Amino acid sequence: MLGASLGFLRRQFLGPILFCIVLAAEAASAAEVIPPKPPAYFNDYANVVSKEKALALNEKLAQFERETSNQVLVAVFRKMQSDSDVADYTRRIAESWKVGQAEKRNGTVLFVFLDDRKMFIQVGYGLEGALPDVTAFDITERHIKPRFRTGDYTGGLEEGVDLILKALRGEYKGGGETAQEKSRSTASSGCGPLGFLVMLIIVLTIIRLGRRKGGYGYTGLGGPFISSGWGSGWSSGSSSSSSSGGGFSGFSGGGGSFGGGGAGSSW
Amino acid sequence: MKTSLGFGKLLLLVSLFSLTGCGTYNRLVTLEQTVNKKWADVQSVYQRRADLIPNLVSTVAGAANFEKSTLTEVTNARASVGQVKLDPSKAPTDAAELEKFQQAQGQLSNALSRLLVVSENYPQLRATEAFQNLQAQLEGTENRISVERNNFNTAVQEYNTALERFPTNMLNKMFGFKARPFFTAAAGAEKAPEVKFDFSKPATPTTTP
Repeated sequence: MLGASLGFLRRQFLGPILFCIVLAAEAASAAEVIPPKPPAYFNDYANVVSKEKALALNEKLAQFERETSNQVLVAVFRKMQSDSDVADYTRRIAESWKVGQAEKRNGTVLFVFLDDRKMFIQVGYGLEGALPDVTAFDITERHIKPRFRTGDYTGGLEEGVDLILKALRGEYKGGGETAQEKSRSTASSGCGPLGFLVMLIIVLTIIRLGRRKGGYGYTGLGGPFISSGWGSGWSSGSSSSSSSGGGFSGFSGGGGSFGGGGAGSSW
Repeated sequence: MKTSLGFGKLLLLVSLFSLTGCGTYNRLVTLEQTVNKKWADVQSVYQRRADLIPNLVSTVAGAANFEKSTLTEVTNARASVGQVKLDPSKAPTDAAELEKFQQAQGQLSNALSRLLVVSENYPQLRATEAFQNLQAQLEGTENRISVERNNFNTAVQEYNTALERFPTNMLNKMFGFKARPFFTAAAGAEKAPEVKFDFSKPATPTTTP
């Protein structure tokens, strides 16, 4: 009886446990790094765009979310930290950042990996109609790529952003606020002192964790923090502008999801 | 006799329900519906690919003396995909059925990637905007297929796990819940196969002394 029930237990639990081990082993062998959620809409981890232009682009993208609720992000990295295909890798990143609003699934991210000379526009489920693969491909291949080839990264990114926004405009209407602004205003008005207390605890915990780990430096109360592993430079610019109040709009994901839409080019 | 059996079953049912709560039943229904929904998503991305093919074939056929055999292969594979029709609203319960479907789709994947490889020999064709756009669309569709297949497998796994778990595993027989088969990552079917022409190297043995 005991033996039988043990056998039963083994059959019930050994499978899932083995499965978990296999999954863990797979994750370890892939050696893939999914970069942490970015603090801004325009994230230049490779330091190729001047601070003023970066801030201007960031504000343009934030304003676009206020008007249309579409979340459009740009992330410029030096290198891919994965052995996967660029389409596959960037989809997983976009998904983990939760770009786009949850119900509309209207996020789009332009990824650039300079050293790999690869870029990809990931398009959320809800925007596949407004920005089909052909349009995304046209933007990367025929507009951004020629400029990147001559080393004009700023120009390529500016044109790319403009074209993406042009394609997406009119698909959804926004509520005049970004996801971050909305969550801030509801937190202060809806929950009152309790919400404030929770926020305080969270902030204190983050600060403490940041000190202990040392990996993610917290650069100021309410300001964005950034991983040192993904390059520096942006962190100083963004934190100073956010602490000065106004001017900088931070990004929070709205819970969007991605189904493999979009296209990319290498140059 | 018949009534007493029915009564016994009812008693067992009631006691099981009181043990597990009818939440379990509802959870299974929800999970099963998720599986069906994901299956529909899988079907629609495969359909999307099939819809692209006539356009691709006509674009490529327009190129001067394009290799005919690769084109016929794609057209044939497209036709055989059309023959393996599964109910798009309900995920298959039969593993062999899914296997057949997967095989037909895998054949089309292979034929398509061969066509793209062959097209390397036609630089004029590749330079046309029409071909480049089609290729971007095709790649996007392949990406979507792999995403939706993964989503489907995740949903099936969650559902199957819920079915197998005690004490749900005693209930599911009574209500007719059935485990669903997965997509398998067969060699060459999941990822577009890479074609390499290197015959100089002998195959490396898997076991070395």
